[in-house]
Amino acid sequence: MEQLINELKEKIIDTLDLIDITPEDFKEDDPLVGGKLGIDSIDILELAMMIDKEYGIKIDNKELGQKVFSTLRTLAEHIHKNRKG
Amino acid sequence: MKGDRVFITGMGIVSSLGSGVQEHYDSLRNNRSGIKPLTLFPLSEGNRHPAGEITGFEWDRSVPRTHGLALAAAKEALSGRNTVPDAVIIGTTTGGMALTEELLRKGEKRPDCYRYHSTSSVAEYCAAALRCPGLIVTVTNACSSGSAAIKLALELLRTGKATCVLAGGADSLCRLTYYGFNSLQLIDPEGSRPLDRSRRGMSVAEGSAMVLLEASASAPEGAIAEVLGGGLSCDAHHPATPHPEGAGALAAMGRAIKDAGTASSGIEYINLHGTGTKDNDLAEAAAIRALFGGAVPPLSSIKGATGHSLAAAGAIEAVVCSMVIRDGFIPGNTGCTDPDPELKVSPVLKALDKKTGTVLSNSFGFGGNNACLVLGDPAAPRKTRPHGTAAVFEILGGACVTGAGDLARTIASLQEGKNCGGTLPLPDISKNLPAREVRRLKRLPRLALALALDARNAASQDPASIFFGTAWGPLSETYDFLTKLYESDEQFTSPTDFVGSVHNAPAGQIAIWLKATGANITATGGDYSFEQSLFAASLAAGSGETLLVMGADEHHEELSPLFDGSVRAGKDPADGGGALILKKTESPAGPCIAPLFFENYAASPGAIASLVRSLGGADGINATCAAVFAGMPGGEKASCRKQLDEFLDATGYTGPVIDYRALLGEFGTVTAAAAAVAAQCAKEGMVPAALASGAALQLRGKRLLMVGLGSFVTAMEITA
Repeated sequence: MEQLINELKEKIIDTLDLIDITPEDFKEDDPLVGGKLGIDSIDILELAMMIDKEYGIKIDNKELGQKVFSTLRTLAEHIHKNRKG
Repeated sequence: MKGDRVFITGMGIVSSLGSGVQEHYDSLRNNRSGIKPLTLFPLSEGNRHPAGEITGFEWDRSVPRTHGLALAAAKEALSGRNTVPDAVIIGTTTGGMALTEELLRKGEKRPDCYRYHSTSSVAEYCAAALRCPGLIVTVTNACSSGSAAIKLALELLRTGKATCVLAGGADSLCRLTYYGFNSLQLIDPEGSRPLDRSRRGMSVAEGSAMVLLEASASAPEGAIAEVLGGGLSCDAHHPATPHPEGAGALAAMGRAIKDAGTASSGIEYINLHGTGTKDNDLAEAAAIRALFGGAVPPLSSIKGATGHSLAAAGAIEAVVCSMVIRDGFIPGNTGCTDPDPELKVSPVLKALDKKTGTVLSNSFGFGGNNACLVLGDPAAPRKTRPHGTAAVFEILGGACVTGAGDLARTIASLQEGKNCGGTLPLPDISKNLPAREVRRLKRLPRLALALALDARNAASQDPASIFFGTAWGPLSETYDFLTKLYESDEQFTSPTDFVGSVHNAPAGQIAIWLKATGANITATGGDYSFEQSLFAASLAAGSGETLLVMGADEHHEELSPLFDGSVRAGKDPADGGGALILKKTESPAGPCIAPLFFENYAASPGAIASLVRSLGGADGINATCAAVFAGMPGGEKASCRKQLDEFLDATGYTGPVIDYRALLGEFGTVTAAAAAVAAQCAKEGMVPAALASGAALQLRGKRLLMVGLGSFVTAMEITA
């Protein structure tokens, strides 16, 4: 799980061009949206696309998205639970 | 006396419900829906959602589908009459995209195949077919384009400068919008169910509607409805999500109702924007409750029947509202069976008979762009309204970006006799923009923001409304969106790029930054985009208002040479733009700019003679004009030179003629950069020696004429 969380930090920074954010700035249990990272609803959709592409997991509606993208940890747990193999 | 009231005297419509007014009447009366599985192009696995496709639509395949839809509606609106409209104002967001995206996927490199790509080509195609000699404006305001186009036409007719205008909107289905909305999770997999408790989004659709608008003191024979008013606003909140309380929607509805000379109590039916997305319907209902309080009139959305046809939607709904007035019925909110109690408004679920005199039609779009119209019974007696007073635009400040840099650097380079054409590196464009806040913005929105902020700083005033011209829109976002889509076999793409690809996204960004909640219009008129945005400003800006009028284009390595003949003719890639902060006033205290002339050369071969006459004839021009800034697009250089010679012959004018494209670069909105340079000359009271063919030229109260040549002949003046 720790490894997945670290991997996600890198992928999120890369996907969203968070140029002035380092992996250390991410706190696993902080809200992903609306915090100091500056992530908003369009970014979440961009991340949903990335999660589908990288892990083969669809997060294709707002209700599910709100739960899964609550924090970095909830996202990692969702991927861990649903990824194949 | 003409020009007092504006009537719809002809209308045409094509949507997933059918072709023509009669088929729409039948479909709407019987609560039919046109939403069904999409067949126009194959969809990838897992992404197959229903859409509002027009099955069996036939058109001249030498043009893209949008063009065919627009012309079909235009022809029905004219219904065999020989009327030639004085102006054509059409909203479209995709233009030739349905064809372009197929060509790009095939790797087609022949520029000629892309000649109908631009959004402007839709209105130009219709104007050519109808032989319209006058003003053409293409409005690219996302999903409020069609209504905004009708609002501009209404204002043009109110000035008395036109008596008959064709206005409307058109968009065909294409992969860009289908997969774009899909990536935003805004498509309802079960088909759109506006206002329903279980709604999950829209159904992307296609269509077109056009209205023939005529100015007259009383209802002419055959008048179907009267356009009583229109209101524009911008949320200035978010690129793709409406303001949660519907603040922008509320402002636009309020302005439309006020413009119509009525009150909310005078509205008897509301045709909702009602897309079926969670957020839109919530925000729209909140705005309606705020405006109408406990007296909400009957309301419904027809987008569960037609789907959401983007730029066409507002025009389609204006036609439907005209049918509501003429035929005495209210269409049902097809698709909704269990109204969402959270909305606290109750839609009319099934079509019903009801005589209705005054209706409000709502259209809202990306970029926070809102446009509302009020239509009424043409037979009702009304007070006529006087023509507006002749206000002018005082220039409070200007900015430009060229290959040389900002306005100061551009003028310094010009003074040294240097060519300023080029593409400024992205970090230079972004140097005053906070890195984190622009991380998602690519080249065009950064250019636009940099220009807007520079102009605002030069003027020390914030604009309320924004008029943005762009020939090609955000090319980087469009290219990146399609590239990602195709690379993944249409499985993945970027929602960020889709939101950014919308032509009015840069103007929406500026509105957010400057908190500009007034009108927000993006005009996409090819090489005449800046002129169109200034004309739009002259129609939509309120008296005493401060506004931003600007133009910008980006150079894209792949797309610019494919799309733009002048880019191919130019020596080096170039881009940039210009911006002016203006104040609409009756008593200017400094230099002013005014749009003077706009004719379609193909339908008006005497346009140069007509231009000379309108500028006061040879004597008038020679007595008042210090210098001519001539816009001669490189792709049409030979015909431009011929037109210029005709102008010089007709006037005997011997002053300086500044071929600004040769100095500032070949790109669509270089005219905006030239206008900023000319405005600076007016402010300083002189044209530098390097521009004025030898010696510095004192203006001594004379004006600078900006003349656009080529497919369109245009004129603007800048007075000291």
